[in-house]
Amino acid sequence: MGVASTYVAQQRAAIRTSFADRANFGLQVGGMAVNNGFWLVLWWLFFAGFRQVGGWVLSDVARLLGVVYVIFGASGAFFGGYRDMAGAILRGELDAYLTQPKPVLSRMLARDSIPSSWGDVGTGLIILAFSARLDLAGVGLVVAAIVIGMVAWLATTISFGSLAFWFAGARSLSRDLADFTLMIATYPSSIYTGWAKIAAFTVLPAGFVGMAPVTLVREPSPQAAAVAIGGALGLSVVATLLFSLGLSRYRKGAAPGS
Amino acid sequence: MRSSPPSGANLLGTTRAALAAYRVGLASSLAAWPVLLGRAIFYGVCLTVLTAFWDKVGAARLAGTLATRLPPGGLGVYIGVTEWITLSVTPIQLRLEDDIRSGALEPHLLRPKPYLAQTIATEAGNMTARLGMIALGALLILTVSGRVWPSPLALAFVGVLGVIGGFIGILLYCLVGLSAFWLRKVLPPLLIMQKLMFLLGGLFAPISLYPPALRALAEASPFAAHLGFAGLQIIAPSASAFCFALALQAFWILALSGLIALAWRAGLKRTLQGVV
Repeated sequence: MGVASTYVAQQRAAIRTSFADRANFGLQVGGMAVNNGFWLVLWWLFFAGFRQVGGWVLSDVARLLGVVYVIFGASGAFFGGYRDMAGAILRGELDAYLTQPKPVLSRMLARDSIPSSWGDVGTGLIILAFSARLDLAGVGLVVAAIVIGMVAWLATTISFGSLAFWFAGARSLSRDLADFTLMIATYPSSIYTGWAKIAAFTVLPAGFVGMAPVTLVREPSPQAAAVAIGGALGLSVVATLLFSLGLSRYRKGAAPGS
Repeated sequence: MRSSPPSGANLLGTTRAALAAYRVGLASSLAAWPVLLGRAIFYGVCLTVLTAFWDKVGAARLAGTLATRLPPGGLGVYIGVTEWITLSVTPIQLRLEDDIRSGALEPHLLRPKPYLAQTIATEAGNMTARLGMIALGALLILTVSGRVWPSPLALAFVGVLGVIGGFIGILLYCLVGLSAFWLRKVLPPLLIMQKLMFLLGGLFAPISLYPPALRALAEASPFAAHLGFAGLQIIAPSASAFCFALALQAFWILALSGLIALAWRAGLKRTLQGVV
């Protein structure tokens, strides 16, 4: 079996497992929908009080939220192992993968499918359907933005998770870094200037997860496409390097966190 | 772990065990000082982004909007306080989820020391190290940012309410973690809890800007006791508001402890019946 077919087989098993407990699955999906609804209500309250921020109004934020929810949801449903990668490294769960012939990273990503992610995908699509007013070309751009954003998001979280190869306390920190990156990816891009913009495109690359893909949808241009795709590819290179370096260290017997 | 709360006779032993666990948590966090330092840097980056947002909102000062009610110096220091508490609270829910779902809880049930009290105490120790490190970072950032310093009294109020608020955060996340007795993953309740912290805790915007009904709801919730009251002392420091906040924090510590005890008993019953 090739890497891709192994991935698909393992991921299908993970998805079937996540569906197995129907009541739990329903609770998780419903819980996520409520969570996303809260965030939308927060923004609705904000714009009721402040009307606009840097030219962005509620419909702009709704479109951003729709895209980011689908990115986050599809990542969790099809690459769910990314979510607790640092925890898996610190628990020594890599050992089993190292004895197998297929690449470790893809096996780690395929090991889990997060049930609540389907709630993200569903609410994201509903928000997009009501807020984006898309024609056929627009749908194509949204799909492209979601794929690019997913690559950027997965690369970012793999980089954060790889910190566990070096730091014992990285599980909590990598989660906080990922959660905060996701949160600021849902903020209007008009707020980013100066140091905030540098931070949003480097250490917490929320700019490449939400801002750049959504700019591609809002104002499509070759430049917007180059920024979004280039950013996602750059982050992927960094993630691959960090994971490979960490794995090489792990193979040599350095305990995670030592 | 006992399935019932400790009786008066062994309360002293439980307290000793909790104190020892607290020291272990504190020492282990301090030993991992590079991660603490990374967290303080992360705090600085968070502040950079979030203050950029509120500075943009405040700069517009649109007539007829809430922007005119923002404090003259903006919300930078307010956000600094709420994020200080938020980033200091440790993810106790992850440990509980792991132990409950993996079956690692069962060996603890055979031991004479209370698992839950020790877990909470360990996380409180971890949180203490984070609170100290991030507070140092916050004061450094405040110094170099050129923003107006709060009065010493306001800082003292914030310090007390922030530390107690952090402990309330641990209790809230503990409830989330105990949901693992019923749910395979605690992510959905965690995210809902986080959103309630944004909405009712004042993490998104100060609750003093809310309409009266929503403000009353927020103040009556544990989320304001966790975050909002400490932040409000930056906007409008007052001794009476401080005392009111302390009383509510004491109430919520008792109420949440009771809820945790109930959830623990119910969850443990499920575990012992082999349902989990």
